[in-house]
Amino acid sequence: MKPLVLGAAGFLGINLVDALVAAGIAPRCGRRTRTNVLALRQRKVPMVQADLDSPEQLAEACSGVDVLFHLAGHYPRLSLDLAGALELGLRQLENVLDAAALAGVKRVVYVSSTATVAPRASGGASTEADLFLAPPTFGTYHALKWQMEARALREDRLEVIVACPAACLGPWDLRVGTSALLVATARGLPVPHPDGIVSWVDARDVALALVRLGLHAAPPRRVILSAESPRLQPLLGDLARRYGAAPPSLPLTAMEAVAFCDEEETRAARSGGRPALARELADLIIHGVELDASLARSSLDLQFRPLANTLDAFDEWARRVRILPSLNLQEAQS
Amino acid sequence: MRADPTATVDSRVVYIISQLVPVKPEQILAEHRLREDLGMDSVSSMELLSMLAEELDLDVGVEDIADVHTVGATIALAKTFLAKKGA
Repeated sequence: MKPLVLGAAGFLGINLVDALVAAGIAPRCGRRTRTNVLALRQRKVPMVQADLDSPEQLAEACSGVDVLFHLAGHYPRLSLDLAGALELGLRQLENVLDAAALAGVKRVVYVSSTATVAPRASGGASTEADLFLAPPTFGTYHALKWQMEARALREDRLEVIVACPAACLGPWDLRVGTSALLVATARGLPVPHPDGIVSWVDARDVALALVRLGLHAAPPRRVILSAESPRLQPLLGDLARRYGAAPPSLPLTAMEAVAFCDEEETRAARSGGRPALARELADLIIHGVELDASLARSSLDLQFRPLANTLDAFDEWARRVRILPSLNLQEAQS
Repeated sequence: MRADPTATVDSRVVYIISQLVPVKPEQILAEHRLREDLGMDSVSSMELLSMLAEELDLDVGVEDIADVHTVGATIALAKTFLAKKGA
């Protein structure tokens, strides 16, 4: 395999680079001019400029590549501008697909989201067959991910495989994205939150799944990557106990949570910084559904790691880079 | 635009910082804190160290930058890694 990884410097990207290297595959790593590439530099992997707004850079980056891992799909910082997010996300995806098709790339492994997985009409856990029939109307992130995935699946110039990972946990979440609630709980900083089902998966398992999707002779077209789908409130309680922190606050209602997020996003848009709770996270929790990842288990021969294993790896890494204070876990366990 | 490769480490660090924050190089002081005084966040702080590592070809790791909070500490880190490189 001669892979190009778009989004190689990000959370999933670094894990994918590690998984590719562990499999004896040398990845070419796409990067933007201004991005944190410290982790990639440490790995001594070749980097190439691949701004998704630059068809020229993408064409150059795709040259000689047979499998393109697209992990750099637009993730809007805030949810306030649906039209802008759709315009940017779809335009960049079009640029990537055009460059891949022109360069003769055989397969694109596109990383989407479980935000595109609909509740199962008959009840029970949702599978790859459960797609929203139209873009969800309750949030920018869900609508964007649906539209982008739909565009990727319409591609007919080359093979496109769609991976839908749940909320990723594990090492290398340098921007503290999906780990935000975990870090806040471990630090004893309760964040207002709704309750609902949260599906999670270890980023290292997602990386392994992506490698196998790249290598597979006849991969599934769309695959859900999820270890478990617990309810958030008891999960936060377990996490608080693990880190010796105060129990989580009572959950907000869905309406309260959305109002809180919107207020926080408006504040962040005005004065910078991050919202205390991201709107897409609240939407994912409120509209979360139980997921059935048996297709990934069977077709990719995957065994998803248990939460304790994921948290141990996250803790070790997060303490090393000071995202978590170093003594919390030891104190809690002593 | 890249920093002048013949300039001192101090001025190259200051130049890179000035690319990331709306502050002129001549107004950036060693004692300035990256976040509180210059308005950087955790993402732009890491971006700074990444740009610095590329600019000076330093093998700085993510864990090495956890305690870098000021312009002076950034300059000191760069000098430490430059010395290691030259050793």
